[in-house]
Amino acid sequence: MAFDLTDIILTFVKIGIILGVMLNVTPIMVIIERRASALIQDRMGPNRVGPGGLMQPFADALKFVLKEDIIPAKAHKALYTLAPMFGLIPALTTIAVVPWGRPFVIPEMTIFGRRLFEGGRLFEPIVADVNIGLLLIFALASLSVYGITTAGWASNSKYSLFGGIRASAQMISYELALTLSAVGVLMAAGSLRLVDVVARQSGHFLLFNTIQIPAWNFLPMFLGFVIFTVSAFAETNRLPFDFPEAEAELVAGYHTEYSSMKFAMFFMSEYMAMMTMSALIVTLFFGGWDIPWYNEPPTFFGFLLSAFAFLAKVGFMMFVFVWVRWTIPRLKYDELMRIGWKVFLPLAVVNVVVVALLITMGWV
Amino acid sequence: MFELIIFFFFAVVTIVFALMVILHRNPVVGALSLVASFFALAVMYILLEAPFMAALQVIVYAGAIMVLFLFVIMLLNLQHQAEPPTRPVQQFLGFFLSIAFCLTLLFYIVKAGTIAALPSTPFVSDARAIGYALFEKYIFPFEMVSILLLAAIVGAIVLSQRGVSLDRRPD
Repeated sequence: MAFDLTDIILTFVKIGIILGVMLNVTPIMVIIERRASALIQDRMGPNRVGPGGLMQPFADALKFVLKEDIIPAKAHKALYTLAPMFGLIPALTTIAVVPWGRPFVIPEMTIFGRRLFEGGRLFEPIVADVNIGLLLIFALASLSVYGITTAGWASNSKYSLFGGIRASAQMISYELALTLSAVGVLMAAGSLRLVDVVARQSGHFLLFNTIQIPAWNFLPMFLGFVIFTVSAFAETNRLPFDFPEAEAELVAGYHTEYSSMKFAMFFMSEYMAMMTMSALIVTLFFGGWDIPWYNEPPTFFGFLLSAFAFLAKVGFMMFVFVWVRWTIPRLKYDELMRIGWKVFLPLAVVNVVVVALLITMGWV
Repeated sequence: MFELIIFFFFAVVTIVFALMVILHRNPVVGALSLVASFFALAVMYILLEAPFMAALQVIVYAGAIMVLFLFVIMLLNLQHQAEPPTRPVQQFLGFFLSIAFCLTLLFYIVKAGTIAALPSTPFVSDARAIGYALFEKYIFPFEMVSILLLAAIVGAIVLSQRGVSLDRRPD
């Protein structure tokens, strides 16, 4: 593949946009999470800092920076310091293969007497359009367990160790169901690239030959969608599956001993993983950046519309994550394992067979 | 040029972390070093234009098998305790065999002289091509491996059930 300076600069612009969004997700989600939980539990929530409590994330961030950074005397110092970084890297990188808008052609323009984008240039809103797309996400997501597990072990505390061990067992178990439930989508698209997955969903299903409904995957593959979403909760360690943390049993689980910015990094990777999973659910099952009943023009305007549509869908999914957290209580640990292996894994295989049938009948 | 820099960087990373696995006294650090080594090895697959193999390398080895290793090490809470005295015969045999293996490898590398370049035509190694190869050309070895794995699973269950009378199980 030949690429020139413009391509490199465009890639850096894309990385900048993605990083900007990902790093700002945490403060935004903190205020949403706290206010939404207050709403659900009929409380006021944080409402003192700034208008309507909107400046609360800044106060929280300032607190994280100013707190003392404690490393326990008996901890494994190197791994204790590295563990939050292990967690942050997969959370930051996985989003790279998710497309977040309609590709558009940048027209040729002259700025400061220099001709830019000669003959127009296609801008694809995806950082890395690789042909193993979804596999890369699963590969990097499977590494995210090391942050939690290492943190649990390096802290040299029994609560942390329990949290770390639970995390490794839980994430291995649910990775299988997560991967298998996405197979149906890949079979329908015939490709691992998420761009192809989105392109396949941009059409319409015809109901009774008259009513047009968007050809989003969650309709024919509802079973796969449910399994994927529930497994995504388990993979991101969100309630009702937050056993590595489980504050009622393990104090604060794997990050009991952590304070200051190291704790904040675990916090950030949790919300970033949530963002990635939401983006993945939207891309696989809700048509990605597709706007239903509307054909986006291949211009900058169309790109903006589709990018906002994608952001709106992802935002809604993230609100669902918060909503579920404050609605459903934590399961028991044996229930978690039983559901994962004895319910979701067989159901995911059933989903593959059902989708294969649908494809053979030509319905999908 | 750019590829050469990437290759040598990750080659060094692979070897350094592989050495850490056998030289470091702490089993958890050893396991994590093996993860890093596997990850750097995956980059080699990408340089060989086989991204699918790279993804599988990370998913299967770094993501699944090593998590299990780490899980067992943590569950048993292995500390770097004093190692039991090793047997001199075994030590000698291990040393001798690995040296012999290294020399054989070196001999064949020197004998081959030049290393064959990648074919200049677009090299197809995506999921589709590998899937067709596995389920058509190599269907027999593929099924054999799956039976082997099944036998291992059944064996593990039988071993764990030994000595447990079925009527006195809890639950």
